[in-house]
Amino acid sequence: MKKLLFLSLFFIQVTSYSQEANQLLERVVAKITSVKDYSVDAAIKTDIPFIKILPVKAKIYFKQKDKFKIVSKGIVILPKQGFTDVNTFLRKTNSYMAVDGGSKMIGELKTSLITVIPTSENSEFVLAKLWIDPKNAVIISSQITTRSSGTVNVDYFYTSELAFGLPSELIFEIDIKKFKMPKSVAADINNDKPKDKSKKKTADKKGIITIKLSNYVINKGINDAIFEKK
Amino acid sequence: MLLKNIYNEFIKILAKPRSYIGIGALTLLICIILFAMKADGSSFISFVTSSFEQTLSFNGTILNGNLIAFIILQMLIVHIPLLVALVTGDLISGEAAMGTVRMLATKPISRTKIVISKFIAGAVYTFILTLWLIFLSLFVSKFIFGSGDLIVLNSEGLVILKEQDILWRYGLSFIVAFLSLLTVSSVSICFSAFAENSIGPIVSTMAVIILFTIIGSMDVSVFQNIKPFLFTTHMASWRSFFEDPVPYSKIFNSIIILVVHNVLLVSIAIIKFNKKDITS
Repeated sequence: MKKLLFLSLFFIQVTSYSQEANQLLERVVAKITSVKDYSVDAAIKTDIPFIKILPVKAKIYFKQKDKFKIVSKGIVILPKQGFTDVNTFLRKTNSYMAVDGGSKMIGELKTSLITVIPTSENSEFVLAKLWIDPKNAVIISSQITTRSSGTVNVDYFYTSELAFGLPSELIFEIDIKKFKMPKSVAADINNDKPKDKSKKKTADKKGIITIKLSNYVINKGINDAIFEKK
Repeated sequence: MLLKNIYNEFIKILAKPRSYIGIGALTLLICIILFAMKADGSSFISFVTSSFEQTLSFNGTILNGNLIAFIILQMLIVHIPLLVALVTGDLISGEAAMGTVRMLATKPISRTKIVISKFIAGAVYTFILTLWLIFLSLFVSKFIFGSGDLIVLNSEGLVILKEQDILWRYGLSFIVAFLSLLTVSSVSICFSAFAENSIGPIVSTMAVIILFTIIGSMDVSVFQNIKPFLFTTHMASWRSFFEDPVPYSKIFNSIIILVVHNVLLVSIAIIKFNKKDITS
């Protein structure tokens, strides 16, 4: 009888945690969904070992459900995961389950940690941890683990477009363990530098991509032609 | 008199059909590369960026005229020495083979000046070949593929250079590439002074380039002391202009080594030609 009571209480507790998590996530998703389309100016700074690139300015276009385009004069490097695909994934509310992970302090802000687990075995996402500001219903930080790209940590900063849940700055921390230089292309017989014996140590470094977003134009309609590949 | 002789030597180069083989081959090779890149350049690009693409996405026009020019240079800089040696290897030995060397020596000009005028005429030919390479690889590529940022892969990783930061790098790298090819020209002229036929100096020049390149690419400690002094080690110095920051001291060192090689080789050719018995 005691066991049954304990199990019932445990089940009720877990269910209530899950319900709270789902309710909070629903508020976040509602905010995301309210943005049908947007265009924004982006200043992208890339700081990744093995890659040397100067900061780049670009224009980003997004349209629901998952249309995304970046227009720039030069070459732009973005993280493969964690930009708009998280929002796209969260919109499919029946494709994952959310578990409340309790409260966490990020700086001076009290956030709710929600762990999102995909229900499908074939999902590209393996696990997503979201630190959410319950007051404004926006993601403050996330840790996305995917099958192909490993783990990507993203910090979100908000200013003018907080009401739409659109950040003014994103800081991506990406895993660069998997980078390998193709030897046949990189072979440089003129290179007389001694071989770097500390490469094993650098293999565990993190790459940082900072994207500052400004001049949002939200829900004004974007022509589909913009998203067509040139 | 020296200027007149340089002019005469250059006319001789222009009169030989083999002088056009280089330009023709260069044109054909570059056209083939341009066609291949137009047809399936994206797969080549993905080969370069594949190791990063699991985590990162590259946006923008990666396949552009600047990248094509870099690829062409990288591919052809190995083969152009043959095209140079084909002409310059024949400059002195060709006279011996045709029996015109005696007539040449009767001119009111010293044998030293004869060799110098041949060297300068060879340098002009090499310059024209390099200029043609610039035109086809950079300007024609840009016309076909457009301009854009340059993505360069080296042993240190990826370097992405801004479009407005590229042209001066190409300008300087072509000067260093010309100096490298001039060294090949000097090697073949030097061999040419020793030979009595045309084939010997051409084959010998290519054999030396292949031998030195193999020695240079072997990661064996016994060759480490020789490597910095081989001209083939410095023939790829043009590539250093596409590093960030540009290793100027390294490039300057390469330029000195190449200039010293040119002076030494032409001096050997002059000494040999001065001592050459042309009466028998």
